[in-house]
Amino acid sequence: MIESQRHSYHLVDPSPWPISGSLGALATTVGGVMYMHPFQGGARLLSLGLIFLLYTMFVWWRDVLRESTLEGHHTKVVQLGPRYGSILFIVSEVMFFFAFFWASSHSSLAPAVEIGGIWPPKGIGVLDPWEIPFLNTPILPSSGAAVTWAHHAILAGKEKRAVYALVATVLLALVFTGFQGMEYYQAPFTISDSIYGSTFFLATGFHGFHVIIGTLFLIICGIRQYLGHLTKEHHVGFEAAAWYWHFVDVVWLFLFVSIYWWGGI
Amino acid sequence: MATAIVRSALSRSSIRLTPRTSFAPPKRNMSSSAGHDDAYEAAKWEKITYLGAASCTALAVWILSKGHHHGEDPPAYPYMHIRNKEFPWGPDGLFEVKHNEGH
Repeated sequence: MIESQRHSYHLVDPSPWPISGSLGALATTVGGVMYMHPFQGGARLLSLGLIFLLYTMFVWWRDVLRESTLEGHHTKVVQLGPRYGSILFIVSEVMFFFAFFWASSHSSLAPAVEIGGIWPPKGIGVLDPWEIPFLNTPILPSSGAAVTWAHHAILAGKEKRAVYALVATVLLALVFTGFQGMEYYQAPFTISDSIYGSTFFLATGFHGFHVIIGTLFLIICGIRQYLGHLTKEHHVGFEAAAWYWHFVDVVWLFLFVSIYWWGGI
Repeated sequence: MATAIVRSALSRSSIRLTPRTSFAPPKRNMSSSAGHDDAYEAAKWEKITYLGAASCTALAVWILSKGHHHGEDPPAYPYMHIRNKEFPWGPDGLFEVKHNEGH
């Protein structure tokens, strides 16, 4: 830390990434709308926007890691920011998924006459919850156990074991995603098949998307652990990834019970 | 110069007002290892992970080997296969049996 600085706060330098991220988001939104409607160049603008966004994410997080590791700006008080931020983000994600469960329950508890007055709707062949979904149910908690193993290994200063634990976490995550992909390809209904297909794929699709995000988050943590970024005392990024992973895990349990199991019989 | 003096005085007073100990984040408040050390906990969770992975493998072998039955195709109800317009990439969805392969 700079010697003249007599406080433990991090006064950030001016950065181009907020505006570049905003422009990327704008191009992604406009490009996405253009792509989904018959406008020329929609796919191009969408790709450009996504590349811009991904680039911004990369360089912004690279800067944050430099500020944290090389410049030592992430003091105990600065670490509180990302901790509260991560918790609030996860709380907002809980609300996001609450809406999908609400939509599913709204449609299934009193099935409309248009779908035959029954749930699952007449004509829908549902996925058997006791096959792939039941198999996926212990995979995510096992992955959660592996991330807890990684956490204790980091706290115990066992750097190599922590990398192995994160590799195990990510492998289990990839197996889960693989099974979900398999199930999606084999599903006898699509997102356009009645309110059942819509609510099913909205909820499970967003969950799958979150699993992929969490997996990327854990892969980054594994790489950072391998590079020696994470210490016994300072590993906020890892903690955020672990919280996020447990959240994704819990959402799956609710999905299994209420959408696959209860909603499928 | 003057602003620098004021700023340093402000930051010094802010340090005095807020004792450093209050900045410490709650330590490991989600951990179940109140009485044990982390090496013990790491070894325990490593075993739990192996146990979990082994039971997942066993379950996978059992479920994937028993095979599943397919019912016959249901009639084309009006609320099924709703397509008001094409997808940006064509008439078929990404995760479905392709009906219009030639397009």
